[in-house]
Amino acid sequence: MSATEPLPGLDPVIHAQARLRVMVALAALSTGDQITFPRLQQLLDMTAGNLSTHLRKLEDASYVQITKTYQRRTPVTYVALTESGRRAFADYTAALRALLTPPTDQPGG
Amino acid sequence: MAGDDTGARPDEDSPLSAGESLALIERQQQEVHRRLGVNAALFYGPWGAAYLLGFGSVFLTYPSAVPLRLPGGVAAVITGVLFVTAIVVSVVRGARAGRGVRGPSRVVGAMYGWSWTLGFGAMYAVNIGVTRLGLPADAVTLLYSGSALVLVGVLYLTGGALWQDRFQYGLGVWMLVTGAGSVLAGVPGNFAVLSLAGGGGLLLTAGYFTLRPPRHRR
Repeated sequence: MSATEPLPGLDPVIHAQARLRVMVALAALSTGDQITFPRLQQLLDMTAGNLSTHLRKLEDASYVQITKTYQRRTPVTYVALTESGRRAFADYTAALRALLTPPTDQPGG
Repeated sequence: MAGDDTGARPDEDSPLSAGESLALIERQQQEVHRRLGVNAALFYGPWGAAYLLGFGSVFLTYPSAVPLRLPGGVAAVITGVLFVTAIVVSVVRGARAGRGVRGPSRVVGAMYGWSWTLGFGAMYAVNIGVTRLGLPADAVTLLYSGSALVLVGVLYLTGGALWQDRFQYGLGVWMLVTGAGSVLAGVPGNFAVLSLAGGGGLLLTAGYFTLRPPRHRR
């Protein structure tokens, strides 16, 4: 299988190692919670530039919401999954499981 | 979408099979839960040790069937050091939990943490007020061990309900039974009940949370 040939039915935005790790980390937060950029970077062990790049792609797909705010005059960036991001991640893991399940297991066959 | 100018390391962009992808999700979930979540074993462990050894040492200051008899000062130091350690560990861990996260879960956590402080503050105020009326020494001892354990039990029930954790809820029930049992046992039997039943329950809980794999959101 070559890199240019994505697995059928898998969301190409999520199906990339770095972005998948970002999605997993954000999906682990409770609904409504947001995490600061540096804390997320620390959790994922990514460089700031690398994480920004992947977050931008996820934001372009409306999977991630980035909130810039101030705390005691210091700028803070918060990151969270959007509702569609959470759904896309659930769909993605469901699609993975479906790919790994032999078709003979399907009921009504 | 096909842009490869992300500056990502090549190994990060290598294609994943479905199996590799699921394995990566599992690994990453465990990692995130380990680093972001509260390590419950580190909460219960110091409290279990404080109950078992602290109350155990107080029990040993009374004449009993156990051949060892501790001087009161030794028991006081053991108990003081262990309980202060447990409090400090809990407060520090609690404050550090969910660092860099804001939102509903932080609010819930902060409210729950303050429930302990407020509950114990009010309990001490009530007990000091009642004690001032003049109570026999044994009655004061049982008032404190009974009220503290009931409060602890109810707070664990609350924690179990908040985080949908049946084991923590069960610990709450156990601490309520321990508190009532300690008062029924009288002095100094109450200290043996607190040490063995209370400390035992807390250490069992610490062991359970050490062995249980990190929880997954489904």
